[in-house]
Amino acid sequence: MQPTSSMNEQFLKNWQMGLQIFRPSIDNTSVSERKRAIKLSADVAMASLRKGTTCWSRALIQKAATEDSFLVRQMLAGIKEETLINRKLPKIVCHRKIVRRSKKILMRRKSSSAMEEVTAKAKKLVKRKTKGLRNVVPGGEFMSNNVLLIQETLDYIVSLQTQVNVMRSIVDAAEAGVER
Amino acid sequence: MLEGLVSPESLSLSYADMSVPERLKWLQQHQQQEVLSLSSNDSPDLLQILQFHGSNNDELLQSTFSHFQMVGSGFGTNYNMGFGHSHEAMDGYISRTSSCQIHSPDTMGVMLKNSEENRAISLKNKRKSEVKTREEEKTEKKIKVEAETESNISNKEASSDTSKETSKGASQIQKLDYIHVRARRGEATDRHSLAERARREKISKKMKYLQDLVPGCNTVTGKAGVLDEIINYVQSLQRQVEFLSMKLAVINPELELGVEDLSVKQFQAYFTNFPVVIASKPSVMVDVPLFPLDQQGSLNLSVSNPNQTSIDAPSESWETQSQSLFASVLR
Repeated sequence: MQPTSSMNEQFLKNWQMGLQIFRPSIDNTSVSERKRAIKLSADVAMASLRKGTTCWSRALIQKAATEDSFLVRQMLAGIKEETLINRKLPKIVCHRKIVRRSKKILMRRKSSSAMEEVTAKAKKLVKRKTKGLRNVVPGGEFMSNNVLLIQETLDYIVSLQTQVNVMRSIVDAAEAGVER
Repeated sequence: MLEGLVSPESLSLSYADMSVPERLKWLQQHQQQEVLSLSSNDSPDLLQILQFHGSNNDELLQSTFSHFQMVGSGFGTNYNMGFGHSHEAMDGYISRTSSCQIHSPDTMGVMLKNSEENRAISLKNKRKSEVKTREEEKTEKKIKVEAETESNISNKEASSDTSKETSKGASQIQKLDYIHVRARRGEATDRHSLAERARREKISKKMKYLQDLVPGCNTVTGKAGVLDEIINYVQSLQRQVEFLSMKLAVINPELELGVEDLSVKQFQAYFTNFPVVIASKPSVMVDVPLFPLDQQGSLNLSVSNPNQTSIDAPSESWETQSQSLFASVLR
């Protein structure tokens, strides 16, 4: 699935709305603050496209709310802001010591043939990669199973692509305007 | 709304007359025609084909399922396909007692909710050329579907189905709460392994979509490599967002996106020529990300970096084009 033009337009509208909210307090801001505001409003705009249906969008809005809850609230005006912002999802906790000890016991019991070792190593590698993916995708730690994780990454990638496309075109237009 | 119907009425007489190998040949002859039409047609044609053939052929079923998978991929989650059909217990003829339901998109919302909870498993038939070998082990498993809405809809469809179905042998209109999954040869058939297998297949299907989405993933084999590529891609996209927002903050101190002046049409034309973001490897990315060219010649907005001097010759033509476009757009 590729980002559609309607997605681009919607994202742009939401982003503009966010920037307009920020604009009154713009006089004494430094570059880094402006950049932060831009990025934040872009992220919230991207997440609000999904209207709370996906896990990553909720997590992204929560993260943005910790940085600038006023902006987020204004941007999401009317779309169940309170529930989105204040909800805390249960985190998956693994006590590492216990897990490691039980794994050691299991390994001792098993008699490892060559084939089993290979598959075990492959599985470990895949697990490590999925953990890495959970770290990258917002809200990845809260996704209980791998199917959900992959679905969410799919949606997240498409949304990121729209975001980058729109932002890049705006930057290009602004640059071309400055050059002339 | 797809209502899977199989009505081999037109065939019942001819079926009875032909012997089994002749029947196979006949089906195969028609199957090739139908597979071609399948790949290009929509679901109404699919129904006709199913009705016509009585869906007693493995390969035809397989192609229909692949078509359904293409259709269902838009839905994104698991779905239950269904058509009830007659159960023939013929010697040497592999009988199919699979039944499931094709659900309308209305129920997709419900199923999306239930996908985590229930153990409904989509029907898969994987055997291709083993139709001819009659030594296949057939096992069936009934897996109860827990969602109530599904059974309601299935009951409705069942009542409409039964009226139209003619059965040759013992026609079992299965209890449509159950989903029959055919186990492959030599594999464990207990409930848990079947569920695991269906889950694994779901995951691999989703990974294939991801492979299509992420550029450069086709060369890598294996889950770990694909996951690696995906992680890199997502990280690079996130870094691009950061960089672009910084650039915008520098260039545009008023944070004026300047869109209000533009007409909607111009902006739509602007957006339709977007190339897909193609990220470079993180090691290559220095200060300014460099993106490879897109096949579309005319409006190539991806590479427009005045600081980069490496690509000189091609960029000149774009910049003139893009500047002319920008001029018209920004006016």
